[in-house]
Amino acid sequence: MCLGIPMQIVAIDGYNARCTAKGVMRDVSLFLLQDEPLAVNDYVIVHVGYAIQKMTEQEAHSTWELLDEMLALEAGEADAAESS
Amino acid sequence: MTLTAQDWLDKIRALPPTRRVRIMNVCGGHERSITMAGLRTALPANIELIPGPGCPVCVCPEEDVYQAMQLALRANVVLVAFGDMLRVPVNVAKGEPRSLEQAKAAGADVRPIASPREAVLIARQHPQRQVVFFAAGFETTTAPVAAMLLEGVPENLFVLLSGRLTWPAVAMLLDSDTPGFDALVAPGHVATIMGPEEWAFVVEKHHMPAAVAGFTPLSLLAATYSVLRQLLEGECFLDNCYPEVVRPGGNRTAQAQLMQALHIVDANWRGIGIIPASGYALNAQFAAHDARIRFADFDTAARKHAGQMPPGCDCARVVLGRIYPNQCKLYGAACTPRTPIGPCMVSDEGACRIWWAGGIRERATGTVPP
Repeated sequence: MCLGIPMQIVAIDGYNARCTAKGVMRDVSLFLLQDEPLAVNDYVIVHVGYAIQKMTEQEAHSTWELLDEMLALEAGEADAAESS
Repeated sequence: MTLTAQDWLDKIRALPPTRRVRIMNVCGGHERSITMAGLRTALPANIELIPGPGCPVCVCPEEDVYQAMQLALRANVVLVAFGDMLRVPVNVAKGEPRSLEQAKAAGADVRPIASPREAVLIARQHPQRQVVFFAAGFETTTAPVAAMLLEGVPENLFVLLSGRLTWPAVAMLLDSDTPGFDALVAPGHVATIMGPEEWAFVVEKHHMPAAVAGFTPLSLLAATYSVLRQLLEGECFLDNCYPEVVRPGGNRTAQAQLMQALHIVDANWRGIGIIPASGYALNAQFAAHDARIRFADFDTAARKHAGQMPPGCDCARVVLGRIYPNQCKLYGAACTPRTPIGPCMVSDEGACRIWWAGGIRERATGTVPP
């Protein structure tokens, strides 16, 4: 439940932002980061629809890569579990 | 130079051999990464990684789930909850619905949501109905609930809050005679919100190594190396192995919002009991949206096994890190993700569910090493 996904801000409207992660678009609340200067193209980590912290582009990309590896592992495990 | 997961593993293996070291994590996300990446088998045999109290769904009081089910069964109520709450079983007489999912099958309007914003949306779409948001979670998830309340919610939205703080359960274990672990890996996103300093007591009061970690094998191995080095050198400090988002002081805006919308109360942890100052409740200004105030309490003292884990289920000891999941006698026998008996086999953050998904099928014999 405490998993967070790095996303890039595409558009900002008040406390709401349109964000993207590897082609997936989501509406994200910036309410918890309202005291942080945020701009389009910035990266944030998103948990249950809320941005909880800013991060750098490099950190976002390396986290995506590592999450991808994890998901691939989990998919593999799930297949193995199904067929066992 | 940036180190890879393999580099960290090599560094850990190159450390001088030590006695048995038990490192506890308190986050379902950590446990998932550890299990899926196979870190336990990759590490030297004397290093044990123990899943501790890291699953808010698993410790959500049985009576709260029961309350949510009874509200859901009212004709005018839409009950929304994070998805993995829906299959958590309560203790009821045979034939009665024993989870929100079964209440739904019996006609209740129960909907899984992925964000508090969806609860607001559903309430706006159904102004004639009462929408009850059953919100279980640690600080990371409870802060968005506070934000939702402060941003303004429709009149017909009510929150049944089962928010919990993570550190008091660790403090309780450390204050006990047998904590059962030698070092702590602290939860990265809780620290993102609350600040890493919240975990300083582990080092300062209990002289135990601690490191905040993120959710990748890389960050978890860096934290494992850190606490092992601390043990070897006999000098403890609180390390931060997730500096990408864990800043000194945490997210102060989120902390201010938590305190503006909510206050801290003594709270019940399923199967464990009351832990002082370990839960969140709505502040008086949000009484009109507090499901605990707006609706009658369905939980009566006469309910059998109220507050408890299901009979025979060892989830409470799994949550406390007293036993490994496969040391429960129900694991993989009566209790599987398809037919879960206890909440640890239900939630995506439950250690039993994670171990099962990770392919662990054998029950362990013997008892846990104290």
